[in-house]
Amino acid sequence: MRNRGIPGRAILAMSALSTLAVLATFGYVCYLLSTGASALKPKFLLSSILEGGILEPIVGTLYLFAGATAIVAPVGTLAAVYAIEYSPRGKLSRLLDGALNNLAGVPSVVFGLFGFTLFCKILGLGVCLLSGWLTLACMMLPFMVRSVEEVLKMVPESVREASLALGATKWQTIRHVVLPAAAPGVMTGIVLSMARVAGETAAILFTACFYTMKGLPTSPLDPVLTLSYYLYVLVMYKPGYLDPSEVFALALVLFALTIALTSAAFAIRAYYRRRWARWT
Amino acid sequence: MLEAVGMAEGSSKSLDGIELVAALCAAGSIAVLGLIIAFVVAEGAPALASGILTLENRWEPEYDRYGLYTLLASSIAVAVGALAISVPAGISSAVFVVEVLPPKLRDFVKVPIELLGAIPSVVYGFVGYKVIVPTISSAFGIYYGQTALAASLVLAVMTVPTILSLSSEVLASVPLEYREASLALGATKWQTIRHVVLPTATPGVLASILLAFGRAIGETIAVVMVAGCPQQLSGPIWNLLQPVYPMTAAIVMGMGEAEIGSLHYHALFAIGGILLAFSFAVNAAASLISRKASIRLRL
Repeated sequence: MRNRGIPGRAILAMSALSTLAVLATFGYVCYLLSTGASALKPKFLLSSILEGGILEPIVGTLYLFAGATAIVAPVGTLAAVYAIEYSPRGKLSRLLDGALNNLAGVPSVVFGLFGFTLFCKILGLGVCLLSGWLTLACMMLPFMVRSVEEVLKMVPESVREASLALGATKWQTIRHVVLPAAAPGVMTGIVLSMARVAGETAAILFTACFYTMKGLPTSPLDPVLTLSYYLYVLVMYKPGYLDPSEVFALALVLFALTIALTSAAFAIRAYYRRRWARWT
Repeated sequence: MLEAVGMAEGSSKSLDGIELVAALCAAGSIAVLGLIIAFVVAEGAPALASGILTLENRWEPEYDRYGLYTLLASSIAVAVGALAISVPAGISSAVFVVEVLPPKLRDFVKVPIELLGAIPSVVYGFVGYKVIVPTISSAFGIYYGQTALAASLVLAVMTVPTILSLSSEVLASVPLEYREASLALGATKWQTIRHVVLPTATPGVLASILLAFGRAIGETIAVVMVAGCPQQLSGPIWNLLQPVYPMTAAIVMGMGEAEIGSLHYHALFAIGGILLAFSFAVNAAASLISRKASIRLRL
């Protein structure tokens, strides 16, 4: 019995080492990308790709955010409201649950194939911003619905009952009581979706992006350049087009953007989890 | 009074309308999955019907040779190689975070690890291309550092957060009474972990490994950038120092060249169908296992 305590301790020490190794990997990635900071000058960020800058990819990424979240936020929120508020045990809600689980596991490149067939080809939109919005909105759906569902489940039943007892209808209760309480969940969903959109490449590769020098898209039917796609092109097809330090700077911008958005989502989630924990 | 009744009626009508819209949104979300399956199958079927897909070790679209062995073997080699690293690292870190680390310090470890999972795959591909690929080529003295090993290492880092965050949740949900009972019987901390906590958590941990496997098979951009993408495998499947051409990479490289409606185009959708089947199978297995886990936990 006594001699078994020592290998046990050794194994736990090794588990500490592996945790350290994982943390060190994160630290190393941060350190490596921070070497791009020296090239991060206003001129680099604000001039066109024709002049060696990254203005179009930055604006293109923002366009992609705006449209994809504008589509997925209302649809995802309403789907979650239906599943939790209207029909928690209904057939449709159970189907939705299963569909979301599977949707979350579908590889992003398959979303790309799907988006290309339906939006670019069958609906005739072509490779453009709008096709990218729709494809990404489909991809974000599970994250959006799950975030809203989580916080809707946290809103105490007594709050709903109080509103209904005052004579409010089901929709009035949802509109004026439940949704305001669930707002942080909607925010988390939107911010997490934006973080995913910012970094996504495979799903927009053949639905939204062209490597063109045409400048910024002027309508949703124009193709777009994003930070993620530009980084991919620079590494795979145009090595040497930018200085190595500038490619690191581009990767740093993309990294910082996704980390900032994800941290914001975690902060909002931690806030409402603490807030509703007092109720339950 | 009458007005109030009218209002109530009016709002009960609008309530129906809103319930309908919400139901449509839910149905639409389900339809997305249905449409994905429908389109991938419809566009992939011609490739199956024409019998061009074979199991030989040659993926050469320009000669209309579509041997699946190259792609399947590459995907599996890369995913298994990744899990060989990320499973031990992820599970032992989860044990450390949940069982050893004081609760106050947990967030200092869990937050960076969750952020590790949020880094875009193109950034991982870039880091792999800049760091791992040259390191491999100098460490093993080979000309091409873009190998199965490079892809496995990148995927290992990408799948650790999945395994770690899911299995630490499972470990944390093992009831405290189990541990107390074991400790009260005189077991040491490690004996309790080894004989009580881990066996109880096994199904959930297995589910997390399956999901990580699904992620590794489906990961695209990071893999394209470091795998090399040859048209056939030069060595046996377990040779991690050869360039590989996983299924996802074949779709990305192929979609740029394939003419719409060509055999190549349909073959790419057939591969998409295989990827889809993989992800559904992994999900089904994971949920089956974790359903068993919840029964065991509720004992």
